[in-house]
Amino acid sequence: MDMRAILQIEFESRRKRNPRYSLRAFALSIGTNHGTLSQILRSQRRLTSRNIRQLGARIRLTDAQIRDACLAGHCDSIVSLIADPRFKADARWIAIMTGIPLDDVSVALHWLLHTRRIAMLDRRTWTLQS
Amino acid sequence: MPHPVTGWQIISPHPDATAAFYQQLFDWHLDRNNTLGYRELTTGDDGINGGVWPGPPDERPFAQLFIEVPDVHSHVERATSLGATVLVPASVLPDGDVMAVLKDPVGLPFAIRSRSKLRDD
Repeated sequence: MDMRAILQIEFESRRKRNPRYSLRAFALSIGTNHGTLSQILRSQRRLTSRNIRQLGARIRLTDAQIRDACLAGHCDSIVSLIADPRFKADARWIAIMTGIPLDDVSVALHWLLHTRRIAMLDRRTWTLQS
Repeated sequence: MPHPVTGWQIISPHPDATAAFYQQLFDWHLDRNNTLGYRELTTGDDGINGGVWPGPPDERPFAQLFIEVPDVHSHVERATSLGATVLVPASVLPDGDVMAVLKDPVGLPFAIRSRSKLRDD
């Protein structure tokens, strides 16, 4: 599960316990501000692995959950890039364009293939799978 | 038709350390200058070459064999009919090789590969 979804679930869970709990209060509790959090939840702000680790620690995710959230974030970034007309089937190029370390790109590519989210059809064509 | 083992791969959560260890121990040549940033290890004239691929931090390192086949898709079907499961379906890598990763009925992962003719050009 990606960090955006985790944050959304955590916020809703807290609001269920306290219907007056605000996004501003949630942002404060996880060490960010209301505007930033709002952008994250609306997918208008990209989360780096560093952001994910910081936020994950603040909502007390386990190390494994944080790793999964980082992997999910990397996968989503790569998927977005594959849909871009400028896309190049080149892990180094992906690493530069996304800011994801090359080894993390490799791990994410393996996961995307394993979960059938992408397919490598020929040397230069990678496609998204439904 | 023979199906030789033509490669091997170590999956390691610490790929730099793993590659450096074998490079230094056996004087193997390490090259990462390829489109996947893959750590290719050349073992010598009579040796089988291999490489190191990064694995998730919580995964134990392991090695897998690469077996050459003329047609990856048909061998995936054949392997699954014999009880294997597909971990990574047949994929065309940027160097033109076609590769699939499977798990044998006992649980050992292995890869089948059809090498690109581009390598011989």
